[in-house]
Amino acid sequence: MLQPNVPPVEPQPSLHAAARVTVGDRLLQALYPPQSSAAQLRWVGFAMLALAAIFPWLGGPFYTRLAIESFLFGAIALSVDILLGYAGLLSLGQATYFGLAAYISALMYLHVTQSFWLVLLAVVATVAVFSLVLGAVAIRAKGVYFALITFGAAEILSKIAHNTRAIGGSDGLIGIPVPHIALLPGVTIDLQSNFVFYHAVLVVLVLIYVGTRRVLNSGFGAVLRAIRDNSDRVPYLGYNSFWYKLLAYVLAAQVAAVGGLIYPLLRGFVAPHLFGFEVSTKAVVMSLVGGVGTLLGPLAGSVIVTFLESVVGSYTERHLLILGVIFIIFVMFLPDGLIGLARRLLATREKAAP
Amino acid sequence: MEDLLGYLHVVVLPQVIDALIIGVALALVALGLTMIFGLLDVINLAHGDLYMLGGYAAFTVLGWGAGYWSALVLVPILVGAVGWALEELGIRPLLPRADRAIVTLLLTFGVSLILRDIAQVVWGTETHAVAPPFTGIVSFAEVFVPTYRLFVFGIALIAIFATWWLVYRTRLGAVLRATAVDPSMVASFGIPIRLVYGLTFVYGCGLAGLAGVLLSPIYAVFPTMGHDFLVMAFAVVIVGGMGSIIGAVVAAVLLAQVQGLASLWIPPVWAETLVYGVMLLVLVARPGGLFNRLGEA
Repeated sequence: MLQPNVPPVEPQPSLHAAARVTVGDRLLQALYPPQSSAAQLRWVGFAMLALAAIFPWLGGPFYTRLAIESFLFGAIALSVDILLGYAGLLSLGQATYFGLAAYISALMYLHVTQSFWLVLLAVVATVAVFSLVLGAVAIRAKGVYFALITFGAAEILSKIAHNTRAIGGSDGLIGIPVPHIALLPGVTIDLQSNFVFYHAVLVVLVLIYVGTRRVLNSGFGAVLRAIRDNSDRVPYLGYNSFWYKLLAYVLAAQVAAVGGLIYPLLRGFVAPHLFGFEVSTKAVVMSLVGGVGTLLGPLAGSVIVTFLESVVGSYTERHLLILGVIFIIFVMFLPDGLIGLARRLLATREKAAP
Repeated sequence: MEDLLGYLHVVVLPQVIDALIIGVALALVALGLTMIFGLLDVINLAHGDLYMLGGYAAFTVLGWGAGYWSALVLVPILVGAVGWALEELGIRPLLPRADRAIVTLLLTFGVSLILRDIAQVVWGTETHAVAPPFTGIVSFAEVFVPTYRLFVFGIALIAIFATWWLVYRTRLGAVLRATAVDPSMVASFGIPIRLVYGLTFVYGCGLAGLAGVLLSPIYAVFPTMGHDFLVMAFAVVIVGGMGSIIGAVVAAVLLAQVQGLASLWIPPVWAETLVYGVMLLVLVARPGGLFNRLGEA
């Protein structure tokens, strides 16, 4: 047993609570139907999207590129949330797939091909194989071991990248050309333009978000949540939790890899720190700040943390310290993140309103 | 045949002895980690940084002109005090939560980032050398070992033995093992288990501090020293079995040998990867590690 000392889960809200609803309460509910949290989230999502769409006209080129970076980190934060919020698996090594995708992408552009689609294919295939193998080992090991194995794997990859001269060693790879991406015959995406680049990445991110939500709201997601909430009972319902977790892990790896796939095109270089614990940690901080288990929260969290870091970074070099403090505040006092906080505020206002 | 013996004697044997010494020091860090996990279900990701603090504290205390022996006593107490603050302010409020294994892991991750950055502010990013208290070399059958390394070996062995004695041969240890199995039962006997948790955490941190002092003259001190050591210490704890004291010692010696011997023939960075490979193999074969948890053996 992994956690023999853990106290039993919180008691379920009793049936009496529902029975105690008075006629007046029912009337009020009929007159003011409570918005479901999903509907609230939808409005938050649309507001975020609208703001994101017009952002390049508001911020200058520097902030536009910073926003692109925050979107790429948003992909890793989203992948952390898929694992932590839905499968109950804490990965401290999602940078593995960000780094892997970035290096493959960079190497392909430098030595093999200029075709974005071929690179995409290579990245998807490599990440799938790698995540299947590592995931099978890490998920077998369960619970906290999972966190440690993912952490260690990213560390090792970072060390290998750091010490292999053929892929640039500690300097990484520089001078990665920016390709033209042929979308349709006759239509190409020119990434030289910040506006085009920004909106292309935004579209990709929205597609990932919508796709991930679709997948996680399906029966697959329901089984995952059941595994998260009570992994002992799920096998009795006829589900093999190992395969569900593994599939979630592979999915999350692909989501994180999208960030890595595009990163070299944005910055023009890759370096071993992309595998590093700082990237993995930042991804966890971002999903904590936004709210674990909301999918939208991590995207908001990545924008907030990236911009905060940049602003703070212009005053002080101590961004690790800041990151650590944010981390502790959210772990100790706001475990459901900003989205959770917003939900609670809305809930208390609704209670107070009638 | 002669050549082979000579090779074993001149090349392999010193490496084995060296790895043994490093392994025993590594066991000190792993012991603290494994005891804290066995009792509190807390994965202390700040443990490596407490080891780092131990190294820096030794550097500073020795810089004030204090003798090495006083540093050896003082530093573990200082690091233990930092551990006490961490337990009191951070970990204790989180223990009642159902998902405490994950939240405390996140908390200690945050603490680890903060400690590393504080170390960079206070001591800078450069590497500081720490002078060993003795510089001689002991030769035994034409194998040369620096006296200081033998000293490290001795002190670490004493600390490991003391820990074993404390846990398995004293009343306090009996309480500790009982708490690991069933805290509410122990509490119902009127034993303040909060204090047992606190003391164990502080003791584990003190051991990391001790390892920091002992290894600082060998490896010097730098801000990421704890981070590098932590990955290794976790491999040790996983291979030995999380929460197992004997497992931590055996696995530390074993993995240090794997790394030490492998780095004779392959580049050191790949030796480290090999250690990780051994860990993965153990996890596949025996997901719970080689030995049982604290209190079960």
